[in-house]
Amino acid sequence: MKATSDIYQEGNASMVKKRSNLYRKEKIYGFLFILPPVIGFLLFTLYPALYSVYGSFTDWNGLGQMNFIGLDNYKTLFTDNFFYTSMYNTFFLMIGIPIGLLLSLLLALGLNRKIPGTTAFRVIYYVPVISSLAAISILWQWAYNGDYGLVNQFLGLFGIKGPNWLANTATVKPAIILMTIWKGLGFSMLLYLAALQSVSRTYYEAAELDGASGFSMFRHITWPMVKPVTFFLVVTNIIGGSQIFTEINIMTPTGGPEYSSATVVFYIWQKAFENLQMGYASAMAVILGLFIFIVTLIQFKMNERSSFDMD
Amino acid sequence: MFGKKSWLIVLASVMMLSLVLAGCGGKGSSDPNQLTFMFRGGPDELKAYTAVVKQFEQDNPGIKVKAIQTNPDQYAAKLQAAITGNSVPDVFFYNPADLKAYTNNNILLDITKYIENKPDVDLKNMWPQGVDMYRYDGTEVGKGALYGLPKDLGPFALGYNKTMFEKAGIPLPDKDKPYTWDEFIKVNQQLTKDTDGDGKLDQFGTGLNAEWTLQPFVWSNGADWLDKTHTKVTIDDPKFIEALQFFVDMQNKYKITPAIEQAQTLDTYQRWMRGELAFFPVAPWDLSTFKRELKFDYDVIPFPAGSTGKPSSWVGSLGIGVSNKTANPELAAKLVTYLSASPSGQKSLVEAGVQIPNLQDMAKKWAADSSNPPANKEEYLQIVNDYGRPLPGQYTYNAEWYALFFTDLQPVLDGKIAVADFLKQEQPKMQAMLDQAVAAENKAKESKKSK
Repeated sequence: MKATSDIYQEGNASMVKKRSNLYRKEKIYGFLFILPPVIGFLLFTLYPALYSVYGSFTDWNGLGQMNFIGLDNYKTLFTDNFFYTSMYNTFFLMIGIPIGLLLSLLLALGLNRKIPGTTAFRVIYYVPVISSLAAISILWQWAYNGDYGLVNQFLGLFGIKGPNWLANTATVKPAIILMTIWKGLGFSMLLYLAALQSVSRTYYEAAELDGASGFSMFRHITWPMVKPVTFFLVVTNIIGGSQIFTEINIMTPTGGPEYSSATVVFYIWQKAFENLQMGYASAMAVILGLFIFIVTLIQFKMNERSSFDMD
Repeated sequence: MFGKKSWLIVLASVMMLSLVLAGCGGKGSSDPNQLTFMFRGGPDELKAYTAVVKQFEQDNPGIKVKAIQTNPDQYAAKLQAAITGNSVPDVFFYNPADLKAYTNNNILLDITKYIENKPDVDLKNMWPQGVDMYRYDGTEVGKGALYGLPKDLGPFALGYNKTMFEKAGIPLPDKDKPYTWDEFIKVNQQLTKDTDGDGKLDQFGTGLNAEWTLQPFVWSNGADWLDKTHTKVTIDDPKFIEALQFFVDMQNKYKITPAIEQAQTLDTYQRWMRGELAFFPVAPWDLSTFKRELKFDYDVIPFPAGSTGKPSSWVGSLGIGVSNKTANPELAAKLVTYLSASPSGQKSLVEAGVQIPNLQDMAKKWAADSSNPPANKEEYLQIVNDYGRPLPGQYTYNAEWYALFFTDLQPVLDGKIAVADFLKQEQPKMQAMLDQAVAAENKAKESKKSK
């Protein structure tokens, strides 16, 4: 994107006419190359998005005609306790994000050393990432099973009687958080590992000569150097975390005991596909979209303020 | 990033696309010799239905049926997507709870003229309780035009482990005289024990999941979730309180089930399969699996009877409907009748062990055939004919109010909230949702009339 726009800015009106055939041809080819993703975006993202914005102002039930009802859906939304509950649950589940990032950084630091078997460990941590989310959710559903589950069998070895994890309001959220951390660990770890390996040895050597301790080297060299990766992971994890659905739908198909594991997207799905309230569900989706947009924007602004260049 | 012009281009393309998309909604198959058929089921059911569809193609040379199948969990969303995308399959399974919404929004075709008084359909031989679930006159379900036929009826009965009874020397339950609640508790207590002497219980009376087995207790105690007009939630009725209290007590007071920490459907199903439970619900779609997997003898009986003295249970169903936009209404209706009402279609489905026959004469033969367990298959016919009812959510425009009850129920089952308090708090919440559903229904009806 950047490169092409630079070319446009070079030319002013008088120059455009003088441009060669070759240039024009290249321009057409350029457009052709970017056309497929642009069409994909228009068809599968922008069009449905605009359609659901329109739908959010109607009483559409997903089956019949749409009647315009103005802001009614949005008004209902702000008095809907289930919406608040599902929002709260969604935020609660995001507790796993900082924990997951910390763990994956520690793992990456560990696996970055020259110890035997690192390749095997990298594979072990990466396997969950490439596995199907639905399959993983079913596996964990069984692992958390109160009776025969692996988790409780393991606890039983130490004489601890585990709860029925997914049927208990106090344990269902931690149980899901644990699973999402496990699932995301490998991906974050891999990115951190790549970032760590691109840090030049010279910084550490210089710091060592100055007599810096291991911790201050981490604080003043490693941490700032991997910061772009941390930023990327925080942003993508929050976007992903706001939309968590598959795990919830498979592990707790009714939204958990007292709706304690239902997330926003789960609630949207229920309204749209089970309760014939597509318009209302669209309104929620619009609010969620705006929310994600704003949070991401704030993150970018904050990152700009605290970023630095090393030249 | 974009100039004004680029935005215009984007907008124009979006508008073009919406026109294109609006125009390209498929309407089932347009080929006069082809049908699309969307259905769902467990592995055994999918296999059985695929075979019957093949059979239909053989019996009707030149006709092709394009089958679209999914597992039960994904079906509702997939059908909704097909409807929203304006590409409803010619023939499809649907939940009878959606009958009103689908007819008000012109999704289902009225197939009365292809079914009634046709020589190849013996409507009188079919269970009226099943057929009537798919009649709708615009205000009430149960009468008027036919918007489909039942795929099957799913009566829910109580099974018991015969081998366990015989080992314990306890007289077998009487299939014609249901237990009273007291008797039920006593038998269960006798059968809940530690059989290997390790100090831990390993054999239990039962383990019932509230969502699927609370209804027989509530109904046979003379209570219900809804009043007769289907507009008022009646769970604060003292008889309802009594029934739910009994249900909770089975676990917390009489301790005839695996403890709270252990009990969930999945587990109790596994325990039943391993022969650790004396009683467990058994539906017709379980029979093929149980025949293969169970290592003990079992039979079915009515659920225990509450204060009315009569047992109760629910009858589930799934409909087969025709799209209102199908290009081949007659052929589509023919497939529906083949699956639901023809002796040859029914025969293969029943032989696959996935359902009870839709045809009464065939059902009687099926019940009398003692070569397949359970011996008392007759109970299923009695549930259909005599004392079974549809689930409450089926009467209303959507079942959100009913689902809420079970979402909030867990702390009551765990004994953390008193039954009476819960029902009192829950009634207004459910009523509010039901009011919304009623309002949505009225609105849909009006908009249909005004067309």
